[in-house]
Amino acid sequence: MSSPATLFLHHIRCSFPLAALAAPVGSGSIAGHRRFEWRARSRTPLREIGEVLGLIAAVTAVGWFTPLDYHALGQIYLLTVIVLCLRVGRWPALIAAVVSGLAWNFVFMPPRLSFSVLDLDDGLLLGTYFAVALIAGQLTARIRAQERFERQREARATALFHLTRALTGARTLDEAVAASLRQADELFGGQTAVLLSGDEGLRPHPASSFSLDTRELAVAEWAGRNRHEAGRFTRVSPEAAALHLPLHRAGTTLGVLALRLPEQALLSTPEQRELFEAFATQIALLIEREKLRTAWEREKLLAESDRLHRTLLDCVSHELKTPLSVLRSAAENLRPGQPGGPSQLAGEILTATSRLDRVVANLLNQTRLESGAVKPQPDWCDARDLVGAARRALGDALAAHPVKIEIPADMPLFMADAPLMEQVITNLLHNAAHHTPAGTPLLVTAGVDAATDRVFLTVADRGPGLAPGLRETLFQKFQRGHPTRSTGLGLGLSIVRGLMLAQGGDVEVGDHPGPGASFTVYLPHARHGSVPHE
Amino acid sequence: MNAEPAKPEVLVIDDENQIRRLLRFTLEDAGYAVCEAGTGHDGLVAAAHRQPDAIILDLGLPDQPGVEVLKKLREWSPLPVLILSVFGQEGSKVAALDAGADDYLTKPFGGAELLARLRALLRRVKPAETVSSIRFGAIEVDLVKRQVTKEAQPVKLTAREYDLLRLLATHRDKVLTHRHILSELWGPRMEDQTHYLRVFMMRLRRKLEDEPDSPKYLQTESGIGYRLVSETP
Repeated sequence: MSSPATLFLHHIRCSFPLAALAAPVGSGSIAGHRRFEWRARSRTPLREIGEVLGLIAAVTAVGWFTPLDYHALGQIYLLTVIVLCLRVGRWPALIAAVVSGLAWNFVFMPPRLSFSVLDLDDGLLLGTYFAVALIAGQLTARIRAQERFERQREARATALFHLTRALTGARTLDEAVAASLRQADELFGGQTAVLLSGDEGLRPHPASSFSLDTRELAVAEWAGRNRHEAGRFTRVSPEAAALHLPLHRAGTTLGVLALRLPEQALLSTPEQRELFEAFATQIALLIEREKLRTAWEREKLLAESDRLHRTLLDCVSHELKTPLSVLRSAAENLRPGQPGGPSQLAGEILTATSRLDRVVANLLNQTRLESGAVKPQPDWCDARDLVGAARRALGDALAAHPVKIEIPADMPLFMADAPLMEQVITNLLHNAAHHTPAGTPLLVTAGVDAATDRVFLTVADRGPGLAPGLRETLFQKFQRGHPTRSTGLGLGLSIVRGLMLAQGGDVEVGDHPGPGASFTVYLPHARHGSVPHE
Repeated sequence: MNAEPAKPEVLVIDDENQIRRLLRFTLEDAGYAVCEAGTGHDGLVAAAHRQPDAIILDLGLPDQPGVEVLKKLREWSPLPVLILSVFGQEGSKVAALDAGADDYLTKPFGGAELLARLRALLRRVKPAETVSSIRFGAIEVDLVKRQVTKEAQPVKLTAREYDLLRLLATHRDKVLTHRHILSELWGPRMEDQTHYLRVFMMRLRRKLEDEPDSPKYLQTESGIGYRLVSETP
């Protein structure tokens, strides 16, 4: 691109690329806008010059056969030049002005078929003609350039508008990156890739439409490291296949945006470069926003885990210290010479130990669930068996509540891990007994939910029901029913949920009206082979 | 001087001093002689030397897993073994029962529970006990006539239901694993057909228990097996 001739051609070729973009929005392309034309259109400058010469020749031929005065023909030539200026570029327009003036002078101006001019009037006329033709041509070209600039600006605004709209629709960074890359692919007619900076250098985003080889990756890394554009169309490694723009915000490199265009395509007008850079800025903003959001969430998580730790400490110390102090004082009172009946003290000790036992069991269960140590071993289970075992395990804790069991005679067996299910039912029953006044009944029902083909087991109580606003956090750990007055670790329901999910089941809180709360656990309804009658 | 019959001797293998002390206290109070070992190795040596009547073995020993101790013991001794485990080790309990342990207790346990288990284990090995009928609550199983009565009324059982009840009754107060029962009743090839057992147990409870939904005698040990509880407190 060094000789004046190629520069000239180049310039002419590149005065068109955005013309197609100016087409009305919504004219058929996917995103509602057209993409850049990278190849010069079929109207090459040579053809334009041909057009110019042809039209002037035609006017000359017509003038030759008509008995018109050469003054009138001069006006017709001028009109022809202006018409041509509206159709062709700046350089062909200049040629039109010069050639038409020469043709007029040579063919029609007396003496005919000679470049010589007879008198001062004709000389002046010819001079004026040249001046008017040149000025008209240049003015028209300037108006067209202005118009083209306006169209480009509009096209750029439209492209950015579409990008922004695509980005607002995206919910995650991945979606947003994918959306903006598809927009760029469409708009620039090439392939784009985003590389995100990470701990191990640049990592291509999966939404990228081309993968970089080692050489391109090296160029991208250079661009990211130096925060400077590199690759094709730039001064750094122009032999590369793609143009690499660094994505950076506030002095931090967030990644690199790479654009690969077809072989013959060009990207040299400032407008295209600017548009691509605008894309890069948008994507950089996007990544920065996502990074900030992640950091903020991590912060929130830390605060939350801090809160959990404090609750855990409070709860655990309370839940462990209370039975321990009971044990200690009961034991002291058992020493000889102390007042108090041994049998009553023994009762206190037993209550304290079973409470301690439950706390430890729940803490262990929760820890096991969180560390993934719960490995269910499903086997055929009988709902009655499990309820019976859970009641036995709870013992005196259920003494104050009559338990009614309603399990239909045709209740099928189901696949579950029996000890885990026993724990689930124990926790639900204990929870119900713990949160309801003494004397109120507990109801256990089971059956098959035909609609979803699952077996269910429900534990319901007739207590005060759930406090409003509690449902959402009910199954979270260390979430106690009534934070101010109830005791316990707040692990019971969290464990129930963890154990049910581990077995491929679920737990739901009932939303029936009226007093009482109910919890239902669900498991898949598996069918076993037939059982021999004998 | 030999008027008093020899006390049955129990070997306690547990690494926790306090547990050993408490077991000694409970057992001696109930009329047993007690010897102790703190490791699996010492336990095996003591078992060989003293030939106790029963062994209480903790599954979590410092030198080797309790199950290993059990396997080594079973190579030469059919002594009744009661294992102690902590909450949540269902898998290791079943493994220990399959390896030849006779019963298990989960810590923390009560003294009464411990003594009941021990009595059941010792009863089984007494050669003098050839019984023709077994009684629990209002239910009597006549092993000779193959008849079952509840409150003196005959209960009609199918042959397989009777077999199940007899198996549990002859091992009363001792846990029987699913695998054991299935193998005894349907043969070793049916060891994993747990649903047979669930269905038959349901039928048996309906015929024998006052409240089949909260059985008094035919009790489930979740994840392990069944136990016929004849000694109700």
